[in-house]
Amino acid sequence: MFDLVMAKYNFWIYIVLMMIGFYAMIAKNNLIKKIVGINIFQTAIILFYISISFKRGATLPILTESDMHGHTTIEIAQYLNPLPHVLMLTAIVVMVATLGVALAIAILIYRKYHTLEEDEILKEAK
Amino acid sequence: MMLTDQAPALIVVIPLMCALLTPIIGLVKKELCHIWVLFALALSTAFAVSVLLAVISHGPVHYYMGGWMPPWGIEYVIDHLNALMLVLVTGTALVVAFYSPKSIERELPDKLTYFYTVFLLQVTGFLGIVITGDVFNLYVFLEVASLAGYALIAAGEEGAPLASFRYLILGTIGACFYLIGAGYLYIVTGSLNMADLAAALPELYHSKVILVAFAFFMVGIALKMALFPLHMWLPDAYTKAPSVASALIAPLMTKIAVYIMLRIMFTVFRPSFSFEILPVSTIMVVTGIAAILVGAVMALAQIDFKRMLCYIIVAEVGYMVGGIGLANETAIKGAILHVLNDVVMTLGLFAVAGIITYVKKSHNLSDFQGAFKKMPFTMAAFTVIGLSVIGVPPTCGFFSKWYLIQGSVIAGNWYFVAALLFSSLINIVLFFRILEIGYYDQGDHGNQEKGAGRKFTEAPVSMLVPALFIAVLIILIGFYNQPIILGIIQHSVPTL
Amino acid sequence: MKILGLIVTMVTGALLMYGTADMPDWGDPNSPANSRISPRYIEKTEIETATPNIVTSILADYRGYDTLGETTVIFTAGVSCILLLRRRRKG
Repeated sequence: MFDLVMAKYNFWIYIVLMMIGFYAMIAKNNLIKKIVGINIFQTAIILFYISISFKRGATLPILTESDMHGHTTIEIAQYLNPLPHVLMLTAIVVMVATLGVALAIAILIYRKYHTLEEDEILKEAK
Repeated sequence: MMLTDQAPALIVVIPLMCALLTPIIGLVKKELCHIWVLFALALSTAFAVSVLLAVISHGPVHYYMGGWMPPWGIEYVIDHLNALMLVLVTGTALVVAFYSPKSIERELPDKLTYFYTVFLLQVTGFLGIVITGDVFNLYVFLEVASLAGYALIAAGEEGAPLASFRYLILGTIGACFYLIGAGYLYIVTGSLNMADLAAALPELYHSKVILVAFAFFMVGIALKMALFPLHMWLPDAYTKAPSVASALIAPLMTKIAVYIMLRIMFTVFRPSFSFEILPVSTIMVVTGIAAILVGAVMALAQIDFKRMLCYIIVAEVGYMVGGIGLANETAIKGAILHVLNDVVMTLGLFAVAGIITYVKKSHNLSDFQGAFKKMPFTMAAFTVIGLSVIGVPPTCGFFSKWYLIQGSVIAGNWYFVAALLFSSLINIVLFFRILEIGYYDQGDHGNQEKGAGRKFTEAPVSMLVPALFIAVLIILIGFYNQPIILGIIQHSVPTL
Repeated sequence: MKILGLIVTMVTGALLMYGTADMPDWGDPNSPANSRISPRYIEKTEIETATPNIVTSILADYRGYDTLGETTVIFTAGVSCILLLRRRRKG
């Protein structure tokens, strides 16, 4: 049991984080809180991917001087898996872009209704 | 020869590069933007058609981005299914671009340049989704398409920002679920390439990770395609979007989501997994039937024309998902043919909605009053499209419904047959109601407008030609459905 | 709405947790993700791309097309903000 927890607990933490963001997205009334929810959700996914790349006892995926010029054979287990890092660099940018568009739309809504509470907006929109 | 070798990349890259240059061209002269967009999309369409022809004659085309072999690099894989989708996307975008200038001039006069830029980016996103053979690359372009879509919708009439915001929340949840699905696949296979995943997955089919990944893929895509319980965002968003934006997004977004679903179910996973290990087939047919019923009934209750069309889309999504869920070749053939038909029909319907909005400045059913006298050509096109949505024989809508019904008879699922017939019946009521308004009501403004009422207020030629073109296309697809099925669709149905 | 949201969140979270049961252990150097595709990047980065930073070589070379998509996303967001927020100058 203890082994299981030690082997998986980080995934569970990210899932809990994801669900906090997810809950904020679907249940919060304030539009900005929903946007914060998006951010928490996406950040948790990024953490999840990054944790896939982890290898116990490995270092950053930048070749050391001795590996660089072919003097030694490269030990794969010595370097972290670089691929998830690359994917998440892209995902971070996507997250920022989503945040930008979401805030722009929120500004439009605020200009029109002078509030960001969803129930008040719906009352006014009727 | 060089250029045709690069055709798969150019299909996507041309609209992208042209989008980057559009703001600069807008600075020089606003009116040039429209020509520029037409130019970009015409080139892209030409390449898409050339790739489709190449696929038909030589089989699937592979293109390695940067020359890196998959699974290390990103590859484009174009088989019959996505070659067809590419032509559909570029063709639809070209028609909408041709149709757009008058409508944008009236609805968004001071935002023309940036509207066209986002328009091209939207098309780029769609094309990137359709053409790629890499799960993560698909996510990136899904976000390009989604972000452009949120912006185009939010630029619409009153209430559009709120509708767009809700779409953004649900769309982002959909995309995040997709990304989680991809992550779960990655953690047990170490791969992102679809073909490589397909090779690595079969030995893992009983792993819980794979089951969860599949579930998240399906729910995420269902959100994007507005499948029945998750369709809440669609009617508001597409009703309030600018006419041109809804004419571009409404036909394509949901159908591209159906395409992604087909890819995930039949390319990444094997059909045997999708249909046998999980009860997916039943779930899809049941939600399909529910979507058809809810869509049809809700469409009947609308007084806003565009909103009615939105609920028709919800029902049509039910046709396709249900058809795929029936899990036999005939039904899947019907579903894919219906993707083709539905893009054309929805495009036509929203083109007509745009014309009505242009002439009457609103889009209620009552705006059709006296339309047959004032706008005979628009109404002729509308009648053909309406007949196709109902499913009257010479039009294309009949044939896909015929295959779907045949498929559900083979599967022994009479509920789906009943739902299809019920929906056709409702469509008859919907469209004949509008035709009746168009024929008999001569306007309720009384005598002083009688002179004005008789005037011929047909839509501008640039909007009318696309609508008529679509009407002709509907009949042509109807006549040539056999060559299309034998030449293209036959090859994209998986062996079950 | 709050209750419904909570239920949906719980179900989703439980499903995700259920999936973790069959995952390779955290930090396992021999997990599929760490041993199937990625070793080639580490081994060949110097020969094929002459870059010691492996993340850079993947970002800008092996999967450079994703990066083009990424910049497109940013461009889309920027133009979208201009499209939505720009107001006609009142003159």
